[in-house]
Amino acid sequence: MSHTLVSLACHAYGLAAVVYLAYLVRQSEVLATAGRVLVGGGLALHGVALFELLGAQSGRPVGLAQGFSALAFLLLAIFLALDVRYRRPVLGAFITPLALTVLLPGLLLHGGQAPLPPGVRQPLLPLHISLALLGLAAFAVAAGVGVMYLLMEKQVKAKRFGLLFARLPSLEFLDTLNRRLVLWGFIALSITLVTGTAFVVTAPELGWHWDGKSIATVVAWGVFAALVNARIFAGWRGRRVALLTMAGFCLVLVSFLSSYDLASPTASAMRLP
Amino acid sequence: MELICIGLSHRTAPLTVRERLALSEARQVEVLQRLAQAPVEALWVSTCNRVEVYLSAPDAAMARQRVLGEIQALGGPEALEHLYEHQGENALVHLFRVAGSLDSMVLGEAQILGQVKDAFERGQGAGAVRGELTRACAAAFSCAKRVRTETAIGRASTSMAAAAVQLASKVFDGLKDKTVLVVGAGEMGELAARHLKGAGATKLFITNRTLARAEGLAAEVGGTARPFDELFALLAAADVVVCSTASPVPLFTKENVGSVGRARKGRPLFMVDLAVPRDIDPGVGSLDWVHAYDVDDIQKFVADNAAARAEEAQKAGVLVAQEVARFVKERALREGTPVLARLRQRAEAIARAEVERTLGALGDSLNDKQRKSIEAMGRAIVNKLLHEPTSRLRAVGPEGEGNRLAGAAAELFGLLELEDAASEKAVPVAAAPAQAATGAKR
Repeated sequence: MSHTLVSLACHAYGLAAVVYLAYLVRQSEVLATAGRVLVGGGLALHGVALFELLGAQSGRPVGLAQGFSALAFLLLAIFLALDVRYRRPVLGAFITPLALTVLLPGLLLHGGQAPLPPGVRQPLLPLHISLALLGLAAFAVAAGVGVMYLLMEKQVKAKRFGLLFARLPSLEFLDTLNRRLVLWGFIALSITLVTGTAFVVTAPELGWHWDGKSIATVVAWGVFAALVNARIFAGWRGRRVALLTMAGFCLVLVSFLSSYDLASPTASAMRLP
Repeated sequence: MELICIGLSHRTAPLTVRERLALSEARQVEVLQRLAQAPVEALWVSTCNRVEVYLSAPDAAMARQRVLGEIQALGGPEALEHLYEHQGENALVHLFRVAGSLDSMVLGEAQILGQVKDAFERGQGAGAVRGELTRACAAAFSCAKRVRTETAIGRASTSMAAAAVQLASKVFDGLKDKTVLVVGAGEMGELAARHLKGAGATKLFITNRTLARAEGLAAEVGGTARPFDELFALLAAADVVVCSTASPVPLFTKENVGSVGRARKGRPLFMVDLAVPRDIDPGVGSLDWVHAYDVDDIQKFVADNAAARAEEAQKAGVLVAQEVARFVKERALREGTPVLARLRQRAEAIARAEVERTLGALGDSLNDKQRKSIEAMGRAIVNKLLHEPTSRLRAVGPEGEGNRLAGAAAELFGLLELEDAASEKAVPVAAAPAQAATGAKR
């Protein structure tokens, strides 16, 4: 049932991506509304599937496939919220293909559910995972917005008045959006780090390991902390902030992927229900 | 007399060449006075996008050489490579299109008509715009009015200033909380200030070398006037700068704009230069946080808008064709009438002379009634003889065939020689032509 719903949602997202790309070429309110309806409908189906799934798993996605699925859901939910709030459908031309890229590998993976180490079976776990995914989704959208910023800045600087120049939002809007997303993502990442540290403290058997995941997460937190501070106190903005956001997102992505041991026998067992 | 237009515009010449020919009003008057003495009727139209000279002179070749000489002297030999030339009806069509804003960088923009009118008044003041050009300009202004009222070409916006505001919206998300600085309170500065205000700018500063002008404009549009010596303090606070001064050298260079960078803490600065010669040195745009645009960049930007208004431009083109045809017809009638009048004058003189000779030969053998009959016969022969050519000349109208017939009549009856003799008596022979302009595009 869940798999069918996610599959349907994936089709809706795919159509939405086509519609938003068409919007990029031919700005029309009809296309913008169609895109919103498709993403909204896809999110509703996807949400029901995730609710059903997570309900059966004590509120936590298990395995890379489910992680990707939840990430795509959050990413598109953030996009839809931004589109409803700011009415900038052109963001969809960049975010919906990104969400599809995240969701598709999940659909292609097969197998059962990955086992969970006993030490992390704690009440805070759903919060830890949800916030980690929310932060990652926020950084993903911020990185997408960063790409848009770099593209737009290139058009503005080179005085190329083509399609992207006509369609992309202003540099200031993209920069402001980046700032808000990075700030919310940073808060989510900070809470994720705190809850993660709490697991180690309350379950000493887990131990603290300086593995790829821990290093990437801490470095990413450092990058975003520096970014938020540089924005507030040194007035950083624009291109270097966009580039740093993208670098920080890559680190968080490494951390996310490191949460799953792809080399283990359970990797083939990771699939959407 | 045939109208000639020699010029260059944003379509044919780069900004660097146009800058060299962008003369101050005083220098334009000097050139016009020189041409007027030639004698050449001349209209010097100079905007940030074009420099054009419209000529009308008895000796068209001489007038043309004089103007090419002036252009070469001002803009160097390179300027000649970018020139275009229109003659006769084509020159008229071009003048009408320019005044109607159909040849503008921003199609349908309203400023050009005012600029052509200013050029016309300057020409009249310098004694260079007289009969022929006065009539051509009056017809062009009337045509421009029709274009604006009978088509939607001017409604979709726009002007260079409007395009500048549109460009600013690609850097800033609205101007409401932005500090906007307008440098120069001339016509372009005024338009820019109005558009910026219309786009929501609340912190609008206007500075000008003459503070009184800045104050006048600030009071009119709801901005704040500031002395010109505060320029760089204002620059440090500004988000958007639009300049349109008559300064012959750039006001803003990479060095002086770069020097306020630290105070701005990397805040982006959007600068639009509507002036020719430029107020902003091209090097300023290489600063990371500065987005600088000049008139050529704006031309690129508005190229798309031109396509959107192509339909209205077509309608306007039809209006221009109608107005040019009307003007040409009226001119031909005006010019054709003296031919007919002279023809009648000549015929009546011959008839009168022959009647007098006949009456003299017959002496007193005729009574008064017979004398009057012979005089009436002379007049009747003239009238009947001239009735057909007069009707035909008037019927065929002014263009093509009409001109040909009038010319033929003048030549057949030897009227041209009379006209030339009269002209030479009235007007001194023109001075020697200026140096030849080779390589000019035409």
